[in-house]
Amino acid sequence: MRQSRVRIRPLDLILIALCIAAGVWFLFLLKERLHYEWNWGAIPRYLFRHDDERGWVPNLLVQGLLTTIRLSLWSIVLATFIGTAMGLARTSKLLFLRLLGQAYVIAIRNVPPLVLIFIFYFFFSEQIMTLLDVDGFIRSRSETTTSVLSWLCAPPATFTHFVSAVLTIAIYEGAYITEIVRSGVESVERGQWEAAWSLGLTPWQRMRAVILPQAMRRIIPPMAGQLISTIKDSAIVSVISVQELTFQAMELTAVTSQTGRASLIFEIWITATAMYLLLTLTCSLIARQLEVRLNRHRA
Amino acid sequence: MPDKDSCATNPRTGDVIVEAQGLTKVFANGVKALDDFSLTVCQGEVVVVIGPSGSGKSTFLRCLNGLEEIDAGRIVIDGVELNHSKKNRRAIRTEVGMVFQSFNLFPHMTVLGNINLAQELVRGKTRGDATDTTMALLDKVGMAERADSYPAQLSGGQQQRVAIARALAMHPKVMLFDEATSALDPEVIGEVLGVMADLAREGMTMIVVTHEMGFAREAGDRVVFMEHGAMVEQGPVEPFFDAPAHERTQTFLQQIV
Ligand SMILES: Nc1ncnc2c1ncn2[C@@H]1O[C@H](COP(=O)(O)OP(=O)(O)OP(=O)(O)O)[C@@H](O)[C@H]1O
Ligand SMILES: [Mg+2]
Repeated sequence: MRQSRVRIRPLDLILIALCIAAGVWFLFLLKERLHYEWNWGAIPRYLFRHDDERGWVPNLLVQGLLTTIRLSLWSIVLATFIGTAMGLARTSKLLFLRLLGQAYVIAIRNVPPLVLIFIFYFFFSEQIMTLLDVDGFIRSRSETTTSVLSWLCAPPATFTHFVSAVLTIAIYEGAYITEIVRSGVESVERGQWEAAWSLGLTPWQRMRAVILPQAMRRIIPPMAGQLISTIKDSAIVSVISVQELTFQAMELTAVTSQTGRASLIFEIWITATAMYLLLTLTCSLIARQLEVRLNRHRA
Repeated sequence: MPDKDSCATNPRTGDVIVEAQGLTKVFANGVKALDDFSLTVCQGEVVVVIGPSGSGKSTFLRCLNGLEEIDAGRIVIDGVELNHSKKNRRAIRTEVGMVFQSFNLFPHMTVLGNINLAQELVRGKTRGDATDTTMALLDKVGMAERADSYPAQLSGGQQQRVAIARALAMHPKVMLFDEATSALDPEVIGEVLGVMADLAREGMTMIVVTHEMGFAREAGDRVVFMEHGAMVEQGPVEPFFDAPAHERTQTFLQQIV
């Protein structure tokens, strides 16, 4: 791997000094102008709390983090599925499939995500879920089933909410994955398609054995970026009251400012930021490893 | 022009195996790459196709295995017509081997994997059977020690020899070569031409687009000269090179020799 040596120049030093100064100035303003009292000691009890029966259990912020993880995981799985199917449709020989994929991408990419959320939420949660009676179905399951579902997705009370949110995020992110898959597939040289063709492979065999494995190398890096975006973008479903990290942080901010105690606004949001960074940076690291491994056989 | 009778009477060759009649190909941009082009090839014959750049040589080969669709004409290979029947089309591209100028090996597979792939997927062979065939072919093209290498680890000449072995693994009835040595360094052209000449000697039916006149003289049975998508002249190798009938052929030969 090429790595140029890091050299610090005088200009760098000046800029770093300026950044530190700005940070100090901000803290100074908080203290002097807003009389903000830092109270980091109050944060841990919103991470975990002691329950008399069950011992230490996650409290609001960690609950939010766990919900964000579940939400992101399911959305990523579904979005990858939708995006791959639509991406392949966009490279299909059939005009209908190409148009379908194109319409999907255009529709999703040209409407504000917030608007999509409300439309999908209303559509899925209020109409489809009610129509299928998902709620009733979940409630009538055995206790083990519901506890497994609670662990994997969400407790029965918020299950339909959760599923709507997953569908919404997946359909939204799927449009971007569609484009990533399409450009990956199209980036495989024509000669590869033709060689596979002239050996007598069927279109499906050609896609699976020759094209996709090569497209994968070009798909993985932008795909990893998109999956990390999914984690960030999942915050948007806080507007439909899915109790993920951002929602819990907002709730907590509201509660702690109401009770007359010194507000915890900065502590809460810095904690939430750190949690998001923990998730996204971990994923970046994994993606980097995967990329290195994929490129191993290339001279 | 050879027909059923001349194929049968020529001691070097067998029956007619490739029959292309009145092929016309017009690309979407209006370029007429083939213009009423006809060619008959006998079993075991080596036909060398030459012509200036853009004369339609590649297009002809690509039509023969269905990579391009013809706008008019008829292609019959070993009794199977290349028409709209999916079954026929697949049969033909399985029976016709193609070697490309740019090798087109699959970069994510080893040499062994490249050659095994279609044997397993298309011919339904077991991994073991396919590997036996592959190793025998690699031995033949002098690449047996490199079975576990990836294409990027091989020279151009080596890659092209592997590509030839890959096409041969399907036991094709006809092999098409589209400027198989044009992308190679001069010092490795010989090793690829050597493999091709061996094949010709063993009686493989070959249609070869090339600028290598030495190869044409040594291994070819017949030469076809194309221009503007049509045939200008064709004939047995010796008379063709020594006394071409057409002025355009003469000019072309003078330019490239
Ligand atoms: N896919 C395509 N779309 C449009 N025009 C094409 C296409 N492929 C080939 N042509 C045109 O058709 C004509 C014949 O091309 P072809 O590649 O068959 O020539 P060639 O004899 O193989 O030439 P060369 O010696 O340069 O390889 C050329 O004018 C070329 O520009
Ligand atoms: Mg050509």
